[in-house]
Amino acid sequence: MKSLVIIFRHAPFGTTSTREGLDFAMLSASFEQQVSLVFTNEAVLHLLAGQTPEQAGSKDYVSAFKALSLYDIDTVLVCAESMTTLGVHPNDFSIAATVATPEVITKTLQAADEVLVF
Amino acid sequence: MSKFIIQVNGSVYGSTASFRALAFCQSALANGHQIINVFFYQDGVTNSNALTCPASDEIDMHSNWQSLSLKHTIPLTNCVSAALRRGVLSQQDATENGKPQWNSSDAFTMGGLGELVVGIEQADRLISF
Repeated sequence: MKSLVIIFRHAPFGTTSTREGLDFAMLSASFEQQVSLVFTNEAVLHLLAGQTPEQAGSKDYVSAFKALSLYDIDTVLVCAESMTTLGVHPNDFSIAATVATPEVITKTLQAADEVLVF
Repeated sequence: MSKFIIQVNGSVYGSTASFRALAFCQSALANGHQIINVFFYQDGVTNSNALTCPASDEIDMHSNWQSLSLKHTIPLTNCVSAALRRGVLSQQDATENGKPQWNSSDAFTMGGLGELVVGIEQADRLISF
């Protein structure tokens, strides 16, 4: 088993990057890897409740974030600085996530075996 | 000596990710390291497109990957679902999906994300491009 940190950096719906990163996250968790997620930059917008991805021609992969605990993905960090920049508040989140300073995120990355960026 | 697995997310043209990944592989091999697999994900699957036809004075990444694989016996693996979404099909995919053509060359094997995860476990280090 390895500890994998998967970083999401892109806004919802502009690219398919997060969708493919989420596929990898769930697959690797089901292969018994220890998986943590980090949302930073515009990717923090994925956590906002009440989205309708279908209107952007996208499968509703955002809803799949609600299933993370079923895959034993319990560490979900959200960059506090990115949230401030974008005016996003934890009360607006649709899933349980931990607001983390860049220092905490740095430590998480240092402790990981591998880091994948999507 | 280290064992590397390489992940290529950048397309065959339009991004330099694939070129940089190949350069890393060549350099690592020249320095005595081992590449256990090159896994193509996201737009990286377009590297397997045998119909890639760059001008004669340009770099042919598709052909370069094939040469690397042949010379050093390195498996090239496409994520099949990423490939199918982008119109990159093996002969078997074409048959199964009722398509009259296919374009992924034999040097590339269609596989699942599970092969990436297993490769990450076996390798000392994953390098993504």
